[in-house]
Amino acid sequence: MTALPAAHVPPRGRAERRARTRQLIAGLAWCSPWLIGSSLFVFAPMVMSLYFSFTDYPLLEPPLWSGSSNYQQLFHDPTFLRVVKNTALYAALSIPLYTIFALVLAAAMAGRARFTSFYRAAVFVPTLVPLIASAMVWMWLFNGEYGLINKVLALVGIRGPAWVVDESWVPVSMVLMSLWSVGQGVVIYIAAMQDVPRQLYEAATIDGMNAPQRFLHVTLPMISPAILFNVISLTIAAVQVFAVPYVIFRRPDGQNPAGHYYSMYLYENAFIYGKMGYASAMAWLQLLVVMALTGVLLLVGRKLVHYSRL
Amino acid sequence: MTASSPQPRDLGAISRRAALGALAAGAAGFALFGPRGTQAIPPGRIVLDYWEKWTRHEGDAMERIVDAFNKSQSRIWVRYIVVSDIGQKSLVSIAGGNPPDIIGLYAFNVTPYAESGAILPLDDRAAAVGMSLEQYTPGIRRVMTHRGKWWATVNTAGSVVLYYNRTAFRDAGLDPDRPPRTIAELDAMHAKLFRTDSGGGLQRVGFLHREPGWWSWLWANHFGGRIFDEASNRATVDSAENLRAMDWMQGYAKDLGVQRLKIFAESFGNYFTPENPFLTGKVAMIIQGPWIANLILAFKPDLDYGVAPFPTERGQPPDMPVGLIDTDVLVIPRGAKNPEAAMEFIAFTQRQDMTEQLATAHCKPSPLAKVSEEFLAKHPNRGIRVHYDIFRSAGAFVPPRTRVWQQFKDEYDTQVQRMWRLEQPPQVALAELQTRVQSLIDQSADQQRRRYGPKGTA
Amino acid sequence: MSNPSSHLESRSAPLRAFRHFALVLLAIAFLAPLVWMLSTSIKPETQAASGELHLLPAPASSTLAHAADNYSKVWSDRTIRFPLYMRNTLIVAVLGVVGMTLSSAVVAYGLSRIQWKGRNIVFFLVLATMMIPFPVLMVPLYIIFRDLGWNNTLKPLWVPAWFGSAFNIFLLRQFFMTIPTQLDEAARLDGCSHWSIFWRVIMPLSKPALAVVALFHFIYVWNDFVGPLIFLTDRDQFTLALGLQLYQSQAGNTPWNLLMAASTLMISPLVVLFMLTQRTFVQNVATEGLK
Repeated sequence: MTALPAAHVPPRGRAERRARTRQLIAGLAWCSPWLIGSSLFVFAPMVMSLYFSFTDYPLLEPPLWSGSSNYQQLFHDPTFLRVVKNTALYAALSIPLYTIFALVLAAAMAGRARFTSFYRAAVFVPTLVPLIASAMVWMWLFNGEYGLINKVLALVGIRGPAWVVDESWVPVSMVLMSLWSVGQGVVIYIAAMQDVPRQLYEAATIDGMNAPQRFLHVTLPMISPAILFNVISLTIAAVQVFAVPYVIFRRPDGQNPAGHYYSMYLYENAFIYGKMGYASAMAWLQLLVVMALTGVLLLVGRKLVHYSRL
Repeated sequence: MTASSPQPRDLGAISRRAALGALAAGAAGFALFGPRGTQAIPPGRIVLDYWEKWTRHEGDAMERIVDAFNKSQSRIWVRYIVVSDIGQKSLVSIAGGNPPDIIGLYAFNVTPYAESGAILPLDDRAAAVGMSLEQYTPGIRRVMTHRGKWWATVNTAGSVVLYYNRTAFRDAGLDPDRPPRTIAELDAMHAKLFRTDSGGGLQRVGFLHREPGWWSWLWANHFGGRIFDEASNRATVDSAENLRAMDWMQGYAKDLGVQRLKIFAESFGNYFTPENPFLTGKVAMIIQGPWIANLILAFKPDLDYGVAPFPTERGQPPDMPVGLIDTDVLVIPRGAKNPEAAMEFIAFTQRQDMTEQLATAHCKPSPLAKVSEEFLAKHPNRGIRVHYDIFRSAGAFVPPRTRVWQQFKDEYDTQVQRMWRLEQPPQVALAELQTRVQSLIDQSADQQRRRYGPKGTA
Repeated sequence: MSNPSSHLESRSAPLRAFRHFALVLLAIAFLAPLVWMLSTSIKPETQAASGELHLLPAPASSTLAHAADNYSKVWSDRTIRFPLYMRNTLIVAVLGVVGMTLSSAVVAYGLSRIQWKGRNIVFFLVLATMMIPFPVLMVPLYIIFRDLGWNNTLKPLWVPAWFGSAFNIFLLRQFFMTIPTQLDEAARLDGCSHWSIFWRVIMPLSKPALAVVALFHFIYVWNDFVGPLIFLTDRDQFTLALGLQLYQSQAGNTPWNLLMAASTLMISPLVVLFMLTQRTFVQNVATEGLK
């Protein structure tokens, strides 16, 4: 990410002050769409949900102040603990795997060799598939009896598992599905790699580095800002994962406990059980976790990320 | 792909731009002039919105009733609106103060909605249009009322019984006229009906608790117990009866093999398809509501099926069979703009000819105590009398009446899945569940007391 | 042509061949789900749910007939009305894309081309809101839209786009920063206002970035599930994402072949759009996001 632009030189005198005020008004005016929109659709809702999180709010009846009881109940709620565990596991598995996979693919596809644009397109097209459609397609691929994956496994004599039914396979299925959209990361990393100055590679080659060494010592540091940015976005998305498991793991005969994620339980509390206060407490906890994770990543990034170009 | 296109780049860019332009124009055109959803409403009528979950043949049948009502008078016009996830949508629309006029909910919604004042009591309104509780069969009355007040009406009724495949019975050397009466008999028949393929995979089972798995909580009642005691507001999930019931259920998973069952269950098509395992003969006995007959009529009309009360541990007493009454209900939500008109529409749907017309189309029983002999004789569900017997039986039961039932049931379903996968013995799973569910009940009661004082309701 | 990233460039032919082999396998693996979706969507139900592994229905000559049968069943379903949902989605997409692109550009201009006190604070706020999980806003937004009377209309899905979004503002702001300031200064000397600099200088130079924002938002609308799930009730208002989920969950009564046909219908506009704008996608989408 870019460092914020240097502060302007403070103007002196009345004319300059007037100019400064004019600039301020112009700046605010140009930013007003976002200022108004975010007050209405982001900041006001945040304040409201903070208030709700301290109330008992059964939706059909008005909110009633209940202090911190929602937050206290959370930690005694086994379902809450389970969704936290599932979500953390999903994030811990999918983010590193996604990042490594994306980097390897980007490295393999970065050149202008033949067919590269076909490979890139093949990897990128799945990222266009809307999550709901993706969930449908994967549910079908994962079907234990008629699914493509188990059919292919059967060809080589392996009896595949019940991917989206078996609790121990659910995390694996979720990660596989998340890797299908690795194209987003690949494209970002390819673009970053293309911006690495060629002289650096030449110098490294003269220093006697081979290709993997050049990747480790030149490419990775040079594209580290892109990696940091991508990892942060992946983290924010993983903590909120909703649509795919909502479609796949909520069945008429009950929720698959291994496929139960934080945002799903939050949604159920709010709109099915009508526990708006409880759901709001969950939401604020989620916000705090995201902020903490982003903060940690930025701190770690400050140490590891190479900002030479900026 | 365009990047490797052999055309000169300019031409490619131009045709691409033209295609994009055409696409954008097409999209805009479709957005402007595409299909529309609204129906025409004759002017000068009171318009009522009626939300219902039914679609396809069930929805068509209800729409015919709505049409008949709209034609029968010139004051009110009812719009039939299909709503999915109707429980959630009703909750938020009532909370939002912008509900429809009539909602078709489920029986288990009545308690939480009534206790939070989200639906209107019907006693006076029903009396005003000449309806009385006595019109309904006794079991149905229990669904319609809560704490001495009348909250909902029922236009198609349902009870949950055993459906069995008579052809499979004959194939296994069983008497198709002698369905099981006790759990032990059911188990024995299951053993005889059981078939595997050459590879050891499951081909047919006699009975499967998890097919379709919609009422995973009701087995306790077939073992002489129940999972919730309304009078003391206590969950009784860990009762001895339920423990026996869950041991019995888990026994099937143990015998059939967890891994094998998972694969088998994934070979079942979705419920309303010809691949439904009862239709394909993969499961010979299932616990089901009357609507399954519609499925049979649609996809496998020659299926030879039998219907009987679902067995109990001690054996079904013929005069008072045990069974779940699970019906759809009609309610008038709080904030409905015109409850009197809504009641008039509801009264129309509750006429004997209308309930019979609808019930025939849905393959369900009518909720009314009085039904015509013709209705019974011509009914497309050959087991219709078995469903009626449950309504009149003292052994019938209704979904637990607690405000937290929705979450109670979700938690129960989760634990049932874990027991089914042999992850926990019932003793442990039920003890955990008991603590969890009771704390939900207590929390809710606490909140109600804080809100309304000791009485605890609106 | 020169290879700009030569970290893994290899001069040995066997290695190159191996790389191509691996990449072809990978491409197949990535496309297989979509191919299988298409394949299922043109089979009759009994063949879709069978142990066999065929791409086309048997006999192959019946392919067109089955395809026509499945797709027309989906398209003309009376209860799950895909044409209507397509239209609703397009309305949200068209109105949203126009608003999103325009407003985000305006705000990005304010954050990049005007020097004012507090600009950095606002920019930081913009970045910070990208962290906020939607569930935090979900409940109150429902209440706000309820009070505005917008629930069960398409408004909650497109009106907020007219106020810009943090990510797109960030993206455009980064792009605007790369445009030399001499250009606006020259324009200002000619007496141009911010508004005309914006329209005459910045916007024409930013077409690729604007295209990226438009595409992003279009995909976002096509993809959005939670918003419609919460704000829409009446099926006549549904979007494709909700319609597809409804089609699947409807008491579990949809066979796989039709479900795949419906999924194909939903995906295909995006794939066509991608093929027409591949360069924008693969080059600009990524590059703009980072610099």
